[in-house]
Amino acid sequence: MNKASIKGVFIVILIALMGVLVACSESATGDGKKKLEVITEAAYAPFEYMDGDQIVGFDIDFIDTVMKEAGYDYEVKNIGWDPLFAEIQGERADIGISAITINEDRKQTYDFSVPYFESTNMILVPEGSDIQGAEDLKGKVVAVQNGTTGQAAVETLFGTNHEDIKKFENNVLAIMELVKGGADAVVADNTVVIEYVKNNPDKKLKAIKDPNSFDSEFYGLMFPKDSELKKDFDKAIKAVIEDGTYSKLYKEWFGEEPDLKALKAQLNK
Amino acid sequence: MEFRFDIVKEYAYLFLEGTLLTIGLSLAGIVIGLIMGLFIGIGKLSKNKWINIPLDWYITFFRGTPLFVQILLIHFGAVPFIIGDTNAIFAGITSLSLNAAAYIAEIFRAGIQSIDKGQMEAARSLGMNHSESMLHVILPQAVKRMIPPLGNEFIVLIKESSLLAIIAVPELMYWGRAMQGQYYRVWEPYITVALIYLVLTLTLSKLLNFVERKWATG
Repeated sequence: MNKASIKGVFIVILIALMGVLVACSESATGDGKKKLEVITEAAYAPFEYMDGDQIVGFDIDFIDTVMKEAGYDYEVKNIGWDPLFAEIQGERADIGISAITINEDRKQTYDFSVPYFESTNMILVPEGSDIQGAEDLKGKVVAVQNGTTGQAAVETLFGTNHEDIKKFENNVLAIMELVKGGADAVVADNTVVIEYVKNNPDKKLKAIKDPNSFDSEFYGLMFPKDSELKKDFDKAIKAVIEDGTYSKLYKEWFGEEPDLKALKAQLNK
Repeated sequence: MEFRFDIVKEYAYLFLEGTLLTIGLSLAGIVIGLIMGLFIGIGKLSKNKWINIPLDWYITFFRGTPLFVQILLIHFGAVPFIIGDTNAIFAGITSLSLNAAAYIAEIFRAGIQSIDKGQMEAARSLGMNHSESMLHVILPQAVKRMIPPLGNEFIVLIKESSLLAIIAVPELMYWGRAMQGQYYRVWEPYITVALIYLVLTLTLSKLLNFVERKWATG
């Protein structure tokens, strides 16, 4: 091939690529009455996980209730954790729900709904550990799941990206690190920690609560920046919490009545 | 879509630390992998089946299973079994070295086998024993032919060291993941990390080109 024809081939490829890009962005916009696309990472039981080929969990039932309240048609897709943020940031999906913690750093890029879930963190340690509470964690190695409230809680104590914090892809790996002796404690959501201790009595672990040192974290629905949906969903979330539908759902999934005090204080801010 | 340079700047120091660790881990993997690979490669040519067969199994296992799985098995299984504790850096160097050794062994074997039989016969008839002929006649010729595939393996090793982020080795990819976790943004961390890996592999391939040219004329 001579130079000119190579150039020609390049131009053809470029035009083809542009065509694909245009086609993609067109299918994402469309008219105002379209089905909302809700995306999640279905790998965080009991909030969202796969049961066979079905996506189930507290978050999934919750979004269903809220959608009915707000009067939208929707579809949930399991697309994974990193893609979730790329899609919402690129405005190719409408709502992310995946036990996503609201915080200031993340608000710079995304909009969040009012909080719909209060999460407290617990410390998981081997039986016989001398760790009694969050204060005792200083100087110890703590394993967490990257990007979770547990990580945020420990970073508040130690400082962001402190060398004693080991960040793992998921809580199971973090707990494995603890069991194998590479970490002194794991800090994670209470639901995760309690589930693990209950299901693995042979691992000889105990869960410690420390409400005085760990602030509550809140989960929210995530929208692209300046999304017009936020207003409708804030209203719908408040409605389902007020009318008791939320409490019923919570009891179904977590086996107890929720303590709505902190959540309601956030809603009324 | 705007690209936030401010958060890249915030993580610049951690990326630098991570890059240094990535370089260190890859170098350790290359050096240990080369030494092990040389012995395994030569051992595999042995006619003694007690040497030959286990080495064949070794290569089959480390080439035939994903490095990702090997890292998890070594970190949570082998290392705690040996030292009673997990140690991510130790596990990282071990898995990179063991994996690289399997590939490098095959490169050595192929290199040695590519040298004409007459060379060994000539060396032996000059009165050298087998190891002397290997060291002074066969290997110097074989090594020249091994440089391109070895260079390929080193580049693969640098890139695959990114898998160590799964066991929380604080290397380059780990800090990319941490940045993603803090800001929930994917482009800034991953594009930055990709560029740094590209600089590392480009530098290495330039270096290998230089070595190849130098040895070709010498």
